[in-house]
Amino acid sequence: MIRIENLSVSFGDTAAVKNVTLELRDGEILGLVGESGCGKSVTALTLMGLCAREARMESGRICFDQEVLAEAGKPRDEALYRAYQGARMAMVFQEPMTSLNPTQRVGRQVEEVLKLHTKLNAQSRRQKVLETFEEVGLRETERVYQSFPHQLSGGMRQRVMIAMAVILRPRLLVADEPTTALDVTVQGQIVSLLQEINRRQDNAMLFITHDLDLARRLCHRIAVMKDGCVVEQGETGQIFTAPAQAYTRKLIEAAPSRMRQREIPSSGAAPQTPVVEVKNLSVFYQEGSNSLFSRGRRRAAVQGADFTVYQGESLGLVGESGCGKTSLSKALLGMNRMIEGQIIHHTVRPQMIFQDPYSSLNPAKTVGWLLQEPLRARGALDPGLAMTKGDMEAAAYEMLLRVGLEEQYFHRKPSQLSGGQRQRVSIAQALITQPGFLVADEPVSALDVTIQAQIMELLQKLRQEMKLSCLFISHDIHVVYQMCDRIMVMREGRIIETGRRSEIFRSPKEAYTRQLLCGS
Amino acid sequence: MDTPSVRPGPSAPRARKANLYLAAGLVMTGLAVSLGVLGLFWTPYSTTAMSVPDRFAPPSLAHPFGTDNFGRDIFSRVMQGMGTTVCISVLVVLASAAAGVLLGAFTGYFGGLLDEVVMRFTDAVNGFPSILLALVMISLLGNGRQNLILSLSIVFVPSYVRIVRSEYLRLRDADYICRARLMGVNRLRVLFVHILPNILPVLSVSLLIGLNNAILAESGMSYLGIGIQPPEASLGNMLSDAQGYLQAAPWYALAPGLSIVWLVLGFSLFGEGIRRGGV
Repeated sequence: MIRIENLSVSFGDTAAVKNVTLELRDGEILGLVGESGCGKSVTALTLMGLCAREARMESGRICFDQEVLAEAGKPRDEALYRAYQGARMAMVFQEPMTSLNPTQRVGRQVEEVLKLHTKLNAQSRRQKVLETFEEVGLRETERVYQSFPHQLSGGMRQRVMIAMAVILRPRLLVADEPTTALDVTVQGQIVSLLQEINRRQDNAMLFITHDLDLARRLCHRIAVMKDGCVVEQGETGQIFTAPAQAYTRKLIEAAPSRMRQREIPSSGAAPQTPVVEVKNLSVFYQEGSNSLFSRGRRRAAVQGADFTVYQGESLGLVGESGCGKTSLSKALLGMNRMIEGQIIHHTVRPQMIFQDPYSSLNPAKTVGWLLQEPLRARGALDPGLAMTKGDMEAAAYEMLLRVGLEEQYFHRKPSQLSGGQRQRVSIAQALITQPGFLVADEPVSALDVTIQAQIMELLQKLRQEMKLSCLFISHDIHVVYQMCDRIMVMREGRIIETGRRSEIFRSPKEAYTRQLLCGS
Repeated sequence: MDTPSVRPGPSAPRARKANLYLAAGLVMTGLAVSLGVLGLFWTPYSTTAMSVPDRFAPPSLAHPFGTDNFGRDIFSRVMQGMGTTVCISVLVVLASAAAGVLLGAFTGYFGGLLDEVVMRFTDAVNGFPSILLALVMISLLGNGRQNLILSLSIVFVPSYVRIVRSEYLRLRDADYICRARLMGVNRLRVLFVHILPNILPVLSVSLLIGLNNAILAESGMSYLGIGIQPPEASLGNMLSDAQGYLQAAPWYALAPGLSIVWLVLGFSLFGEGIRRGGV
């Protein structure tokens, strides 16, 4: 039994974790959920003895069975921790690419654990690694053993990480967002694998995630964290059916889930005026070449796309990463000219919202300046639409209020805003010139769930107010479900299925669509 | 997702240290530059008046740095020399940085043929030691203050082109620049209103490093006798005059030599302070 008692951790003057008490029994999976910055990772890293040196344990202690691993006020016993790390407790991180050494074959890296903690000889070490690879569902284990991390897919890398963590059958496995960086269909497989390992090895698992749906599927018990405190703790079923805290309820409601059929009002009149027509569009990119003398080959990222976006409609585009969604959107907006086929725009200057709120606003400018820039640009292009300084400022203030930000943000710089606030400014900037057509490329996937829900609501509201047509791109089919009237499913550069939202969800025609639906 | 929250610690002590660099740099350069600028208009003694009886007077209250082989006050000459050196270096840096920003912005953002031509040209210039190149240019153009500034500026342009170009290459596909293009912002405005402010931190550090190089280059040229001509004082030509009297009057060489070190060290500390995020 592993106990974290009354743990508080702080960095300088800021407390990251406050009086957290958790208990893990053998064979139990405890989910630690909360938004980013709530202290769940710090808790896990402290438990593992991996916290940065600046972190100070203010109070509490960590016990492993009867042994006290760490206690506030006492220096950390590094030797004791080294004996525990890897052998009795192990961790799986979020990003498998950066957690593996890119210059070493993965087999060697896994073997390293055995070298450090066991007295096995080279032959049996190798044997053991191959066995473990098989256990975590890797095929062609010999080939994987000889591979470098970049030669493996994201899912395979995460399996290697898991193999490394479980090879010594640790009593405690800490998984910090192990599926967040993976595609939905792979996510499902990794979750099942973790479940299976837990059943087979009967170890305790601390599963950290911001995704409540995942936690619900995997965990026996759940602890909800907010601002460094555990606000609620209990059996999974109880947390989901009868959450005691308002915050827990808010988290559950915010998660885009197909459990609740949140209906969106369909956008009025029959959508028959086309805004954008795409005919037999293929998009290419130049592949980097290894040879000095030949140019890279032209590869198609999108092939034969055919669709129309109608006035006032919100069209969804789903697919896994790398399927060509972003290539399609860039081509649509004229950012990639290597295309074949036709794109006909019936609006001027369609706008786009990007995924990463941290890179889509110019960090050198104030919010007010950013909001006026589209108006200035429009005025410069078309003198008929030029506005006076005062008018532009008034328009910027008005737009700021419309996206739910107060006037005081007008003079702030992007670095002084949170992710959600930045995304609001992005939206304001895109919509201030009232474009008829907007492409939103994963606008919420970099945000926390509660913020996600707010941004989606805001987009929905503005879309209706401005009678906006929208192409909404996401890898998350539930997000698309909430935002869109019609949905297109894309796979390997082709649009394989298009249909009204209800059709796609009730009777998907393609096997792949079904997989996407159950995968998440 | 929330791993960044794990290490907010080190910023505080680092910021304090940066301020120390910055403060030291500001004090040193502030003192030197104000003395130098003052020296261009007023000096305690005339910088050219000779007085044989006062030859090689060691440092004293009347002559803090002593006097030289013609009995001139070295402190006054160092003041004037520093002023001249700083003025020339600032002009050189401003001229070469302006040209570098223009060329770097266009080549980095647009690429293509212009990029190839300009980059090969900078490669060629970089192929020669910069002082040597400046020497050749001056011998073609003739001595003189303007020619010194012109040739040093030309020699320093390539380094700015490279820095600015790589920054523009990095930022031209940034999301916020894509969005600016989508809004229909015209290209020149994207280059100089949207991107330029974002490279200022990098640029300001390289400006200060460039200033150091220019100070050293100017001193070197004057030392070799092709920069500022005597009797006008400059740190370089004073050093060269002092060479013959190292034993008789060591202070004569020490004064301009240490002044150069003081200037360069000051600007370096200043630059380091800015680089570490002090401003």
